[in-house]
Amino acid sequence: MRIVLVRRKKPLKYGGLVVALLSLLSGIFVFTIFAWLIGVNPYPVVETIVTTFIFPGVVKDFIILTLLGYALLIAFKGALWNIGAEGQMHMAFLASIYITLIVFFTTEKSLPFYISIGVILLSIVAAVAAGALWGGLAGVIKAYAGVDEVPVTLILNYIAYFIGDILVYGPFRGTYVYGYARTDLIPDPYKLSIPVQRQLSGNALIDTVTGYIVEFATYAVWIVALILVLIFTYWLLNKSNIGLRIKILGSNPDYLVSLGYDVRKTTVLTFMLSGAIAGLTAALYYHGSLYRIEYPLEYNTASYGYLAILVAWLSMLDVYLVPLSAYIVSAVILGSQRVSSLPSVREAFIRLQLGGAEMAFKLLMFGSILLAYSILRFIQDYELKVVS
Amino acid sequence: MSSPLLSVANITKTFPGGVVALDEVSMDFHPGEFTVILGENGAGKSTLVKIMYGIYTPDKGSIILKGREVEIKSSLDAIKKGIVMVSQIPQLIDRLTVVENISLSLTRIGMFETMTRVRRFFKEVGEKIGIKVNPDAKVWSLTYTQKQLIEITRAILLDAMVLILDEALTYLPLEERRKFYVYLNEFKEKGRSVILITHKIPEALEIADKIYVLRRGKLVGALDKASANVDKIRDLMFGETAKTITYERFTKPYETPVGDIVLNIKNLVVEGDYGEIAVNNVSLSVRAGEIIGIAGVVGNGQRELLEAIVGLRRVREGRVIIDNHDVTNKGVKLTRESGVGFIPDQPLRYAVSADNNIVENVAALFSRKNLVVNWKSMRELSEKLINEYCIYPPRPEIHVKLLSGGNIMKTVVSRELEYASKALIAYNPTRGLDEATSTFVRGKIKEKAVNSKLAVLFASEDLDEVLQLSDSLYVMNRGVLYGPFDPVSTPRSKIEELMVV
Repeated sequence: MRIVLVRRKKPLKYGGLVVALLSLLSGIFVFTIFAWLIGVNPYPVVETIVTTFIFPGVVKDFIILTLLGYALLIAFKGALWNIGAEGQMHMAFLASIYITLIVFFTTEKSLPFYISIGVILLSIVAAVAAGALWGGLAGVIKAYAGVDEVPVTLILNYIAYFIGDILVYGPFRGTYVYGYARTDLIPDPYKLSIPVQRQLSGNALIDTVTGYIVEFATYAVWIVALILVLIFTYWLLNKSNIGLRIKILGSNPDYLVSLGYDVRKTTVLTFMLSGAIAGLTAALYYHGSLYRIEYPLEYNTASYGYLAILVAWLSMLDVYLVPLSAYIVSAVILGSQRVSSLPSVREAFIRLQLGGAEMAFKLLMFGSILLAYSILRFIQDYELKVVS
Repeated sequence: MSSPLLSVANITKTFPGGVVALDEVSMDFHPGEFTVILGENGAGKSTLVKIMYGIYTPDKGSIILKGREVEIKSSLDAIKKGIVMVSQIPQLIDRLTVVENISLSLTRIGMFETMTRVRRFFKEVGEKIGIKVNPDAKVWSLTYTQKQLIEITRAILLDAMVLILDEALTYLPLEERRKFYVYLNEFKEKGRSVILITHKIPEALEIADKIYVLRRGKLVGALDKASANVDKIRDLMFGETAKTITYERFTKPYETPVGDIVLNIKNLVVEGDYGEIAVNNVSLSVRAGEIIGIAGVVGNGQRELLEAIVGLRRVREGRVIIDNHDVTNKGVKLTRESGVGFIPDQPLRYAVSADNNIVENVAALFSRKNLVVNWKSMRELSEKLINEYCIYPPRPEIHVKLLSGGNIMKTVVSRELEYASKALIAYNPTRGLDEATSTFVRGKIKEKAVNSKLAVLFASEDLDEVLQLSDSLYVMNRGVLYGPFDPVSTPRSKIEELMVV
């Protein structure tokens, strides 16, 4: 008798869902243990993390990360490891800023509806094009020069940051910025967020519910875009010829060759689609929440582009699981930030003479989640069996 | 009778997707015996030996080596226990020399031998098998036969007690095979055991002491040398369909090809993978409705020639004209879109996407011009191909990687033949298919060529196939094309001679 590892005959039912949730739980568990080891009472830590899952502040990150998750999902399906969503977003920011702050800059508090909409649409189109071109550039380097896409997209991120830095110091520097290296605020008529006001009732449950409603109302346009992107991604990957090509590219490019498709063009196209969605996300983020960019540029996106890699992986490249994994990741980011600012955690870090390092603490939770994820992902495909 | 050296008992193996590959299979392998395991495509032959070699783990059942039940955890473990397998495709590293390749596998099991000693070992064994290879030659410069013989030499150097040959000899030229049989007989006389996997009955009858026949994962027969004959084995292997097997030439109304020249190749010069001249000044033409076969031993430029015609490989000199359009060096897209079906060498590598299902694999070819794939019609088409070619399991949504090698080949052949509207370019169109399916596929090719006025150019290592199917045949040897010959009136010996001289 012995124990062996064999591939499952059928994948686990709801495996994707179970894996995502279990990795989350085990990640939080490991994190809490660590907190306990450095002398923090685990109860408030767990409470803070768990309550973050029903915390309206998650909504914004959730939408942005879902959109970016789809951007990366498309590239990952083609086995193209685009880690350059950051750079693609930043090039898109610059395009949007050029449209809204240079070409159509206005100090008016309100403009006719059709002008606002027109400028916003133009800005979005420019951002999508910029994202697609920046993604496409990575694709061209990969396809025609044969350089691995991982370093290429990573390097292109920094090139995008630095181009942005130069522009923010130079031509894009605002008039009303008191010497700061940043752009002006986006003119009010071009803002996409819907200002909603509410009165706090004092009841935690009611406030949470109204909080969610307020958040969703504020970002209503984002939600619409998210649904459109979801439908587009589903259609692309499951219905269209391009999606089929991307999937085959991810599995066996040699087959594409013998079918007479151009593997290089498919690679570039995949990157462009991925970059386009990243560009769209950037435009929405800029118009709806960021409103301006400032030096140094990499701080503007809160690493969304990198977190999206986590989102895409955690979803196991399943179109339906992307929103779920985006929600989990957003809650975890916010939760770990909230944990880091708990008084007991701050004290513990000061005691350890690591005062100020609390923010790095959240990385530990990401690490734990990823570790648990890789183990569980394996269990989903393989099982231990006793053979006699 | 002696006790068996190696036995498998009640082995059951089910693959992901619920495909039952083996169902309660038991076999004994005695010392000094040459055992052949026969079976049609997907019968479970490869799965069984992969279990013995530690690549797969059985769901149930046991392996008994020299009377003791053993577990074989990995291939390395199998080699340590004296079980060595050689597979159909040489697993050598092209950029290294012969000796480097061999020492690589020896070091892996802990023998830190110097190159000089490895070279001596290799020469000793090599002389016995009759392999004439420079031990310092780079592997890429060798032919398939030589590579395969090196694999076998390696297995012998590993001091195998049980030597498993998984279709390892099937594609070797007869002459080399005969030489090797002599050695294998010597080998087994020393109390060792040889297991040969094949789907070719004549090969089995040439040498077997004992024959096991597998069918759809079940052991359906065990025959000894005296009682075995072709008809009996065919019945066991194929059941009812055995009657359809034939090597008779397709006769009228299939005889006279008429039609214009579809495929015209003029003075083609093509380079091989390493810059050598692989195709040397080849000219031929194929008319609509005509089937041209190219006979030849593997590695004489057939693959390069066909790839160049389709557009996968650069043409150095000469022209390829399809349907009066010059397509030389204009890429695969153009040839494909002008209605050319293509069955490449190594179809598992070049002709399917294993992580996608059958429908997706079919759609990638047929829906090439539609932005939105018509999945309904693609599914219907896939179902039609599955039914027509008896692809098992008959599920269009199954991932191709879960099919057996023969069934993957069937999906490729059926798809390409269905797609071809002007011409079919095929390399070993029935490679890896069992006799009944091969006969069926050859019939299909002939039928389509005649009915749809398809120009067919194929190369095959199986001379019987070339003789049966071709309206006119060529022989390719070291990049040079000889012919055309009439398959009926040309003596077989003349063709065989051209193939090897």
